Amino acid sequence: MTTLDQKPSRAEGRKDPWSLLLEKVGKSQDRQAYHALFEHFAPQLKYYAMANGMASHAEELVQEVFVSIWRRSCLYDWRKAAASTWIFTIARNQRIDMLRKMQRTSAEMPIETEDLWQIPGEDDNQPVTSLHRLMSERRVRESLKHLPEEQITVIAKVYMENKSHQMVANELDIPLGTVKSRVRLALNKLKVILQDQNV
Amino acid sequence: MTRHHPDSLILMEYSAGNLSEAHAVCIRLHLDKCSHCRSRVDSLDSLGAVMMEQQAQVSVSESMFDSILARIDQQPPEVMPEPKPPRQDLLTKLLGNDLNGLPWKKQLGDVSLLDITERFPGQKDRVVLQKLCAGGKAPVHTHRGDETTVVLQGAFCDNRGVFNQWDFVVLGQEDEHKPVALEGDDCITLSVLSAPLKLTGTFTRLLNPFIR
Repeated sequence: MTTLDQKPSRAEGRKDPWSLLLEKVGKSQDRQAYHALFEHFAPQLKYYAMANGMASHAEELVQEVFVSIWRRSCLYDWRKAAASTWIFTIARNQRIDMLRKMQRTSAEMPIETEDLWQIPGEDDNQPVTSLHRLMSERRVRESLKHLPEEQITVIAKVYMENKSHQMVANELDIPLGTVKSRVRLALNKLKVILQDQNV
Repeated sequence: MTRHHPDSLILMEYSAGNLSEAHAVCIRLHLDKCSHCRSRVDSLDSLGAVMMEQQAQVSVSESMFDSILARIDQQPPEVMPEPKPPRQDLLTKLLGNDLNGLPWKKQLGDVSLLDITERFPGQKDRVVLQKLCAGGKAPVHTHRGDETTVVLQGAFCDNRGVFNQWDFVVLGQEDEHKPVALEGDDCITLSVLSAPLKLTGTFTRLLNPFIR
């Protein structure tokens, strides 16, 4: 595995502007940088919140995510994830957290959302920075351009509307097997499927 | 070394945050020991980020930013982030340190069972721990609905091969198997049984993934 630590100058060049801004927030509580992140990501996050059925809590979710970004930014490590991936995982976790709090009965769960869904870079088990990880977002964005619309639609429903493959099948009125094969074809192109052994 | 991994479709549902807590526990336990699958999840998280970026965007008011700043300023500095103490291991948090010492319920033959469904309130999945004593055999059985399993201790084998600690497997209705625990340690697994799509009548029989 190639570690970027061995090639700092080359790695520097791979930082995207959002990761640079997020780093500034983390290092020096830079409010201008924070505002720039807000202008770029808040509209995406609001769409996310509305698409997955939290419309009445959409603004609340966006606020929670941004407060969380501010508090955690000192833990952000651009070598472990691009800013947008890091922010996506925070949004996903905040959404799960809000749903869990709404559904929570008197019985408390000892397990926290982040025991189950981790934010990249906050995991001590991952000391090695792989080129693969850093490149993955760029590669995904590139290869997504070549996917047929029907595959993108299915993936968008899974990620943005938080529908299970079964729910997507029901909604599009196609067999579950078709949904699964569209996802598989897409993930193959995105090179996520490298060694599926159970398939 | 784990040899049986979650397939990409499940990892995608995990990355999207669509799995139930019990299913997420199975995935997380595997991920904690499998860097290969962690890097697959990294790619999938990136996919989520790119999907989010490519959707229509919904405008937000500038006043929202002001409220966010107000909230940040309210935070007294001492509550601001300090490095958190290392997280307690998920398995320990869920089941404590002594898997063998749990209040196991002896079943037929070499099988013991512990139902921990009530630790996952508000969901329909059934969550059970199963123990097959070292070298022990479970009767041949099939599965009702999908059963997601992660091996917590020891190892078992069936017609699909050997399943070692932290291996992950999903068995469906068509899979008939006859697990045998390897010699050495008792084999302990955590299984999540998806709620059947149709539940008719009163169904009181204990769902036992090893014996059904």
